[in-house]
Amino acid sequence: MSTELEPQTPEVTENDLEALIGDRALRRDDHLNAPGFVIRPDDVQDVLFDLRDEAGFDHLSCLTAQQYEDRYESIYHMKKYADPTQEVSVVVPTSVDNPVSQSAEPVFRTADWHEREAFDLVGIDYEGHPDPRRILLPETWQGHPLSKDYDQEQPQVVTLAEHANPIQPDHHDEESDTMFLNIGPHHPATHGVLHVKTVLDGETVVDIDPDIGYLHRCEEQMCQQGTYRHQIMPYPDRWDYVSAGLLNEWAYARAAEDLADIEVPEYAQVIRTMGAELCRIASHFLALGTFCLDVYGDFNAVFQYSFRDREVVQDILEDLTGQRLMFNYFRLGGVAWDLPEPRDEFIEKARDFLDELPAKISEYNDLVTGNEIFQVRCNDTGVLEPDLAKSYGCTGPVARASGIDYDLRRDDPYGYYENLDWDVITRQGCDNYARVLCRMEEVEESAKIIEQCLDLLEDWPEDDREIQANVPRTLKPDPDTEIYRAVEGAKGELGIYIRSDGTDKPARFKIRSPCFHNLSSLEEISEGDFIPDLIASLGSLDIVLGEVDR
Amino acid sequence: MIEGTLIQAGDTVLLPERIGDLTGLDQFGLAGELLAAFLAAFIVGNLMLAMTGVAGPWAKRKITAAFTDRIAVNRLGPAGLLIIVADSVRLLSKENIIPENADRPAYDLAPIVVASSALLGFAVIPMGSGIHLADPEVGLVFVFAVAGIASLGLVMAGYSSANKYSMLGGLRAVAQNVAYEIPLVVTGMSVVIFTGSLQMSEIVAVQNQPLVDFGLFAIPAWFAIVNPFAFVLFLLANFAEVGRNPFDTPEAPTEIVAGYQTEYSSVYFVLIYLGEFLHIFLGGAIIATIFLGGPAGPGPEALGIVWFIIKIWGVFLLTQWMRSAVPRVRVDQLIEIGWKGLLVLSFANLILTAIIVGIIQ
Amino acid sequence: MSSDNPRQEIYDSTAPSTDTREARMGAGPDDRFNSKLREAFGASPFILTKFDQFMNWVRGNSMFMLQFGIACCSIEMIHTYAIKHDLDRFGAGVPRASPRQADVMIVPGTIVSKFGPRMKRVYDQMPEPKFVVGMGSCTISGGPFQEGYNVVKGAEEIIPVDIHVPGCPPRPEALIYGVAKLQERIRNGETSPVVVKPYELEQFGDLPKDELIQKLADDIDEEDLVMRYNWADSP
Repeated sequence: MSTELEPQTPEVTENDLEALIGDRALRRDDHLNAPGFVIRPDDVQDVLFDLRDEAGFDHLSCLTAQQYEDRYESIYHMKKYADPTQEVSVVVPTSVDNPVSQSAEPVFRTADWHEREAFDLVGIDYEGHPDPRRILLPETWQGHPLSKDYDQEQPQVVTLAEHANPIQPDHHDEESDTMFLNIGPHHPATHGVLHVKTVLDGETVVDIDPDIGYLHRCEEQMCQQGTYRHQIMPYPDRWDYVSAGLLNEWAYARAAEDLADIEVPEYAQVIRTMGAELCRIASHFLALGTFCLDVYGDFNAVFQYSFRDREVVQDILEDLTGQRLMFNYFRLGGVAWDLPEPRDEFIEKARDFLDELPAKISEYNDLVTGNEIFQVRCNDTGVLEPDLAKSYGCTGPVARASGIDYDLRRDDPYGYYENLDWDVITRQGCDNYARVLCRMEEVEESAKIIEQCLDLLEDWPEDDREIQANVPRTLKPDPDTEIYRAVEGAKGELGIYIRSDGTDKPARFKIRSPCFHNLSSLEEISEGDFIPDLIASLGSLDIVLGEVDR
Repeated sequence: MIEGTLIQAGDTVLLPERIGDLTGLDQFGLAGELLAAFLAAFIVGNLMLAMTGVAGPWAKRKITAAFTDRIAVNRLGPAGLLIIVADSVRLLSKENIIPENADRPAYDLAPIVVASSALLGFAVIPMGSGIHLADPEVGLVFVFAVAGIASLGLVMAGYSSANKYSMLGGLRAVAQNVAYEIPLVVTGMSVVIFTGSLQMSEIVAVQNQPLVDFGLFAIPAWFAIVNPFAFVLFLLANFAEVGRNPFDTPEAPTEIVAGYQTEYSSVYFVLIYLGEFLHIFLGGAIIATIFLGGPAGPGPEALGIVWFIIKIWGVFLLTQWMRSAVPRVRVDQLIEIGWKGLLVLSFANLILTAIIVGIIQ
Repeated sequence: MSSDNPRQEIYDSTAPSTDTREARMGAGPDDRFNSKLREAFGASPFILTKFDQFMNWVRGNSMFMLQFGIACCSIEMIHTYAIKHDLDRFGAGVPRASPRQADVMIVPGTIVSKFGPRMKRVYDQMPEPKFVVGMGSCTISGGPFQEGYNVVKGAEEIIPVDIHVPGCPPRPEALIYGVAKLQERIRNGETSPVVVKPYELEQFGDLPKDELIQKLADDIDEEDLVMRYNWADSP
């Protein structure tokens, strides 16, 4: 890897952390990936402030909530943007009778949505939370589905009076001149089923409130019901369904492999790397296409061209994995099968695609980024300042377009990325235009990676093509091991938290979705802009509702 | 007047008179004239409706498809042409949903206003081959005036649908039309400085004189050639008037669903849709008349209507091209371009033209 | 949220919903498909048959789709509209953003409890005649997410579906085949959406329409109304 090393933040050792947290740590509860400290529920803000300001843990990567037999637990997984290998977990247990914990919202804005989700699905109350509502399930839902005593069979019936209808015309405020507008859940620009409650003053967006959960498909429950070895792997494909399947599968594979201590053969790593980058290209093409749909109007040429190019990528991926969209190709310890025979033909096909790519990208540059109207539309709209991006936990192209040099492929290496020559793209624009450019340039970097992988695969000695490590038929990791691992998905840091309980199914499976964080910043970046900018900002955040809602 | 005689500018024989003449209706006094006029209007109206009928369900799809490497309709009849029948009958046969809170007379009238305002404009357009309904002395002003009525229809549609998206669309439509109507008219006036007349037939006749004569062929004095700057200005303002990219903000499907037409279904939707296409064609007709020499073209005079339709379709093609390749400007930028850019430029154009014409004469 | 066990405490009858439908419509062929005009004319008169055939041909050959994306399948649906597969060849490739102008709703993805009512609303907003193509396993049964606490087990629990296209997700070719099959069925007059035709209101006597609505509205006690997330057991 050629990227020059940036000035590393000083390594914070466990002793430093122990000294920092001091008496507030009740005991240690180490995770496989990070040291863990158990603290009292009313120390949360205190400890997180210290960790952020004194020790430099400026990235609240994830918040996992779960219920044990005797307690509830919220785990704050913290990292550093400058060096994500430095991690610390803050574990906050609360009693079953009175699950109240202090809110971390004043420290990290992203805790807002996370704690709402924890309340919604598990049932922990957060004291001092500014907006304690349900987030994924309907307001009138009864019970907390991931808590122990939830009965899935109970009828979910509420009287009509209780059920607030958001489309009711009671949002009209006689006093003010603003207008309340529901954008979505069925709207051509919401990229799925997002509902944005908007308050407009003329054409200006005064206030927005993204309402998610219209695609909450219980992914975490599904994964908790599946066995590690085979039953979980199909689900990641359906989180970020925009052809980013292999990237998502890698997130699960990485967490589970580290949990069960499985070594992946190098040959399989190369195939994984190549497949994942193909997925990234397909995903970024879609992001570009749909963004142009928002800015150009329907049936424009860029949108159609980007889908033409996606077809080619999907063809290659279909040859490799056997499916167009839901690949289910990774296995714990490797991949399902080797490159398709005849190998030469496959490699040739992939090379052809890479050869044509520069011409296509310059076509996009002519049509899109070079277009002056497009520049006028996108420059200085949807501005996301780096500090804000960090506070919201934004990652991926959204963060990199705000000048945050953060890419897990380089900073927390996995797969074969370390041995390849490529660059992390960052831009300083912080606006919609920067985000689009960032994605376009990442496509070129991905192409570089694929090129090198193809060379490696072509020359790989035939008797050394081990595609899967030896993995026991039934995986039963040691009880009470906990791990949080993340990979660089198409949209950013895609993390998985797994807690094992000695059986062949995870006791808690939590997905840290990059889109969830990126979307939460929408409120900040589009208030005060015009409706078209709101739509464009939403498009440039490139959210996938399957991953936001999970 | 005998059929096929050359038509000289100034003493045009209009279509109603000719029909009256041919059918003998003009012997019945006022009633006969009226009937002949109706007949003539019927012919012109149907010609335009037929063109929209071809453009809306079929040509638009084929053109967009050609821009985006697709084929589009090809299963139904030759080159998918029967889709015109299928689409129009299907749309007409759908359930017409009228929202509960709709402001009834306005809601019902809006589509008719939109469609008819465009149709009215064709009355004064000389289409060649003797197809010209009326030739008032204020022809150009009449066209701009009736085309402007469409804004009323759009704002009626937007307001009366009782839908917030429609409302936004209607507001945008009226803001846009007001902002671009002035540059449009002012640029149109720069042509009048050349011709010294608002009469359509006069404007066409002036353009038919050769600008430069090379003996074998002559470059006609089409105002697009005489004053290309005004032509470009007019084209731009026209895009905004008909609401197509880069100025398609009033119905911007990804922003405000379908703008003012969000709530319309069935017949009303057909009318609004027709109205939009008629407006594109009317825009094309105005451009053809005042900048491209109207029905002028090589070949016998009888081919005038063919040339005229080709010119209209050329403008239509341009709008579709823009739609495929040009981004939409934001609503505030749209207003800014209109008031700060086009308006200033169009007045500059007017004054410059006036000075130059003054010097030449 | 499983609907395996109908809940006695809510409704007295545990009979599945099909029973209700049969009771409502009576046994034998559905007489709603026979118009009054036809009743008056006796057996199928030539002109009506031809007209019906023509209308079937029209509806079967041209349709506006609703621009409606839910989940994974919508990506393949966009591919179906886009360059390589080009659904518009069949006269079915114009997505309209407003449900008022759409004929066919392709349901591309998992429906969850929160979205169910919204989807029904969008369906209700479409003008008759309207058709629904269910795309993917999720719209058939809930697909891979069937066991989820929040997942509606198939689109048919909420809206009537004309064609199911299985797959997870179905390939664009499969969706084209599904749409082509729908068109074929419409052309042959085999599919008739569940339509409330005016004469169904006959049973309410001679009340004019507005009074009828008023009467029905008066019958509703708002306290009793329930909003429910398990659609299967709804009557």
